Amino acid sequence: MKSNDEVLLEEFEPKQIQRLDEIIDEYRGRAGGLIPVLEKAQELLGYLPVPIQERIGEGLNIPLCQVYGVVTFYSFFTMQPRGRHTVRVCLGTACYVRGGKKIAENLERMFGIKEGETTQDRRFTYETVRCLGACGLGPVVVVDNDVHGRVKPDKLRSILDQYN
Amino acid sequence: MAKLKIEDLKKIKERVHKENALREGDRRVRVTVHMGTCGIAAGAREVMNALLNEIEEAGVSDVAVTTSGCMGLCSREPEVTVEILGTEPIVYEYVNANKMRQIFKRHILQGEIQSPFVLARGKEQQD
Amino acid sequence: MKVFRSHILICGGTGCHATGSVAVKQALMAELAKQNLSEEIRVVETGCNGFCAMGPVMVVYPDGIMYVEVSPEDIPEVVEEHLLKGRPVERLFYKEPLTEERIPEMGEIPFFAHQKLRVLRNKGLIDPEIIDEYIARDGYAGMAKALTELSPEGIVKEMLDSGLRGRGGAGFPTGLKWKFASQSKSDVKYVLCNADEGDPGAFMDRSVLEADPHAILEGMVIAAKAIGSSKGYIYCRAEYPLAIRRLSIAIEQAKEYGLLGENILDTGFNFDIEIYQGAGAFVCGEETALMTSIEGKRGMPRPRPPFPAVAGLWKQPSILNNVETFANVGQIIHKGSAWFASVGNEKSKGTKVFALTGDVNNVGLVEVPMGTPLGTIVFDIGGGIPNGKKFKAAQLGGPSGGMIPIQHLNAPVDFETVAELGAIMGSGGMIVMNEDMCPVDMARFFMDFCQDESCGKCVPCREGTKRMLEILTNICEGKGREGDIELLEEMAQVIKDSALCGLGQTAPNPVLSTIRYFRDEYEAHIKEKRCPAGVCSALFKSPCQNACPIGMDVPSYLALVRAGRLDDAYKVLLRTNPFPAVCGRVCDHQCQSKCRRATLDESLAIKFVKRFITDNAAKPEVEAVPVTRKEKIAVIGAGPAGLTTARDLAIRGYAVTVYEELPEAGGMMRYGIPSYRLPREILAKEIDDIRALGVEILCNRRVGRDVSFGEINEKYDYIYLAPGAHKSQKLGVEGEDAEGVYGGVEFLRDFNINENAWVKGEKVLGTRVAVIGGGNSAIDAARVAVRLGAEVTIIYRRTREDMPAAEEEIIAAEHEGIKIEYFVAPTKIITENGKVIGIACERMKPGDFDRSGRRKPVRIEGSEFTLSVDSIISAIGQEPDVGFVPEESGISINRWSCFDLAAGRRAETTNAKFYAGGDAVTGPWTVVGAIQAGHDAAVEIDVAIRTLNGEPLWEAPAQEKIDIPFEIDEESEEQPQAAMPELEPAMRKVNFAEVELGFSLETAIREASRCLRCDAEV
Repeated sequence: MKSNDEVLLEEFEPKQIQRLDEIIDEYRGRAGGLIPVLEKAQELLGYLPVPIQERIGEGLNIPLCQVYGVVTFYSFFTMQPRGRHTVRVCLGTACYVRGGKKIAENLERMFGIKEGETTQDRRFTYETVRCLGACGLGPVVVVDNDVHGRVKPDKLRSILDQYN
Repeated sequence: MAKLKIEDLKKIKERVHKENALREGDRRVRVTVHMGTCGIAAGAREVMNALLNEIEEAGVSDVAVTTSGCMGLCSREPEVTVEILGTEPIVYEYVNANKMRQIFKRHILQGEIQSPFVLARGKEQQD
Repeated sequence: MKVFRSHILICGGTGCHATGSVAVKQALMAELAKQNLSEEIRVVETGCNGFCAMGPVMVVYPDGIMYVEVSPEDIPEVVEEHLLKGRPVERLFYKEPLTEERIPEMGEIPFFAHQKLRVLRNKGLIDPEIIDEYIARDGYAGMAKALTELSPEGIVKEMLDSGLRGRGGAGFPTGLKWKFASQSKSDVKYVLCNADEGDPGAFMDRSVLEADPHAILEGMVIAAKAIGSSKGYIYCRAEYPLAIRRLSIAIEQAKEYGLLGENILDTGFNFDIEIYQGAGAFVCGEETALMTSIEGKRGMPRPRPPFPAVAGLWKQPSILNNVETFANVGQIIHKGSAWFASVGNEKSKGTKVFALTGDVNNVGLVEVPMGTPLGTIVFDIGGGIPNGKKFKAAQLGGPSGGMIPIQHLNAPVDFETVAELGAIMGSGGMIVMNEDMCPVDMARFFMDFCQDESCGKCVPCREGTKRMLEILTNICEGKGREGDIELLEEMAQVIKDSALCGLGQTAPNPVLSTIRYFRDEYEAHIKEKRCPAGVCSALFKSPCQNACPIGMDVPSYLALVRAGRLDDAYKVLLRTNPFPAVCGRVCDHQCQSKCRRATLDESLAIKFVKRFITDNAAKPEVEAVPVTRKEKIAVIGAGPAGLTTARDLAIRGYAVTVYEELPEAGGMMRYGIPSYRLPREILAKEIDDIRALGVEILCNRRVGRDVSFGEINEKYDYIYLAPGAHKSQKLGVEGEDAEGVYGGVEFLRDFNINENAWVKGEKVLGTRVAVIGGGNSAIDAARVAVRLGAEVTIIYRRTREDMPAAEEEIIAAEHEGIKIEYFVAPTKIITENGKVIGIACERMKPGDFDRSGRRKPVRIEGSEFTLSVDSIISAIGQEPDVGFVPEESGISINRWSCFDLAAGRRAETTNAKFYAGGDAVTGPWTVVGAIQAGHDAAVEIDVAIRTLNGEPLWEAPAQEKIDIPFEIDEESEEQPQAAMPELEPAMRKVNFAEVELGFSLETAIREASRCLRCDAEV
């Protein structure tokens, strides 16, 4: 059986693992440190597969079950690798009443993926969100950090074409 | 940066308040420097600088400075309109930096109209 | 100190960032540098200004001029024109949607003018990343006072006296919460700020954090002093990166200044704040769940007691307040509790910030005194509903709240009233919804949200929300069953009573609220499998067909026009409508208001395409249907309702006789609508087709005059009463009976009977005519008067938007030179020798909202004036003339002089032999509404007869199969609705020729091709 380190090195750079350990060190022994570590780890690595969770659990002296419990509880954390770009369709009330649902449907049809999934080429990860607070611009689609407001269903493709 | 004490808060407030007073809206005096092409060519920019310097030195916060275009009397540029709230506007002609400083000190701060420089009284006619 | 002659404040809130404010700022800086103005003009990036829908916005001081929707390309012009030459750039001013007026100054824009800024006092006015600017606006003065002059008890007392209640939703008195925590004995206590704003449609807290982060810090320090805490956390959503950044900068600057940390302001008080990023769980907005989350665990709520004031974060006494609550604290301490309580009403003090979103013109952030009427927020500040749609309800409190419907627009928005109406104040999300909102779908949406966000700890919430969602989904998909509504109500009660935390306890609120106000729509979904709002797509083929009272198959006939198959298209029209040519001209086309094409550019001109079909298709020969039934049926009134019933029953084999008082059949279509809108021969052709089926129409027979009610009752087995509404309502002012005063319908009828006499001048109105009213009859009468050579003024007591008349009719009247005076009401008719010489009027202003959501006109004292006129046409409303029905018939008539229907029936009256429909039941309504009533009556009469006889129900003869082509454009290009060619206004004044000239074949096909084919199943 492969050691945890070997598994991690198949997917991540040694530099990334080193940085992860630094983050863990920073929070070791601090009450309530788990969630900030997970947030930073995900920012660093893109996602949080079980071997990463094991490493964080060991580092913070928290049982894996608790780490896993937290990761699966919060929608911010993901255990799947992510696409190069994240497309988030807002389905908050304001966007929903202005046609957000139609946009979500178009996107699903266009790429053949469902919410939370990533395209085969790892170009896009598609998510829906509950309100980004940009209700004045609804319906809103966010690609990475770019907010696209007043999106009409047939304009979706031209927006996504800007991202490769 | 040193740690603040209570009285420092007041000092900061006074200082910054003056800088930002023009966002509050209630101004005693409104000075308009006419900055059409002709005005700028005749030296309106220096007049403006002189005015801003005077305001800064005097430390007043109730004078609003705006610009407007040519009044149509290009030959008498630079021109400056001073309107003290509640009184009729006064238009000065052939203003230069020196005259501007005098207008500021005497008219704007003390309310004495500087008659020798006056071009006209009252509002510009709207069409 | 550096004095700049001008400051330009660019909004840097999330909304404006998204619309490009960063690029605008860069362009501005570059342009200022280029013009050598950098030393004279300062550019400041502020937090959210609140006017998000108009972003990017920027305000130029000292003028206070606001520019909206600014793009980098606009900047050179702004610098050159405004900043150099002092000429503000008008095209970038805010445009008032109703008056289209450009408003330069921010304070005069209605959106800002009605607000009262306290929490948001610094929004758009200071640079949130510069602490000095906050201090300059009295920032940290409240904290200084609390730390030096007040004891903890003194702070608590001030908070209690202020009456501040928690702005996070529940409205618990803030002072009381602090009091409990201050009384708990412990060395370690925590002050927590809830910035985990998760309600969909709510962004108040985000805006405050972005625009004025120091206000939160100040409030927290004061709270810390009150309860004796030295450590605070701000729990902020990770979805708000800008807010987190601004907060971090604020904390850093405050620490540098000694306003946070050790020995604050040299008073010996210590307090530190840490930002904790939420990781996306709605339940963490609940206080105990939030604390569990900061502890690094799954954010699940804990049972209370113990309350957080006793054992909160890490089991230590803690208080949790939301962002807006803390933002109030500094000012309360600085200016005093009395100042705070001077605004608001008895139990709700101060102001409330709302995120106004949804179907409203001015989406954005607003702050108003507690108790401000809902209508003021939606209409005065919000600017009303876009695209001429009607307000339906406002949702308050997001997934935990409820809806306040149109009849409560006057309701003061405060904690108590909102709760009484079945909503909650919530954190301040106010989502405006228009007529296109389906309450069942909305309830399903919110339940889906709660079900998804339920943490799963307690059974009532975990399972209950799931089951309720299932029921709601079923109803939306047409699988609802009788009893579902009651089941939902029962489950809602159980969940409210037994769920562990606020999320579960409030999750059923949207369901209960929508059932309370829109039960009829739930019933339509369950019993009729119909979604009146046209949202639940499983229940209909296309929204246009769903909106049509008689369910015309719009996509099919449009597709046939596109394919050039006009004859087939006409057959499709006839399947549901005996008067397609009439409807092609005068229908109120509700189909078009639901057309999905409008989301792309404009709705389709369905009515005009329909007219094109009827003008150009070959009309099939109508053959008489043999009478196969023994029952004899009389119809009273040959209007659209009566003739439709007669036709439907004739098709079913009944012998039908129609009695009509006037010389020709058609009712209002003949004697109300003038010929320039509906040429006589077009109507006559469609009536002839009904006669050809075998229907007997007897004109000049008024029941009660030419033939007695008793005779009809004796001769016929079933009688359909459809006399219409042909009597004008009285104005109720002095002089009404003078010569020269006409009722609207009476005038139109007289004109339509004696058209020759009027045109030749044998009958005259005079040169100046006043028409009173705002309905279609008023406009029709006015347009007829213009054609008779008069100078016409319409007097209407409300606004143009409130006019019941069709928009296109109002526009046509204006084109024809008719003057319309809005907000004017008549007070007296002035006469001389018994003849009209003038009309005294007074001006009105908008008052409170009535139950229809329109503002009641209120008279303005001393605004009386007189118009000299030769005639007055009073068209303020019509009622049926039902005097021919004797009381002993047992047919109940209500106070509007309309027939009552038997409970649960669509046409049967309170005497089972008599049925009724059309305007005589509904009051003045539309042609298509009357046709629907006629269809309904025929079905009910036929079913009643067959049920009585024990016969099987009627089966319609097999229809000719018409295959509907499916041709659709892959990419829809934006292309507005085709315009109807019209007769020149100058030409219209001299004759009664039809004004609308009809589409060409090319236009009709192009227009039909715009159809998005919503009926298609892909």
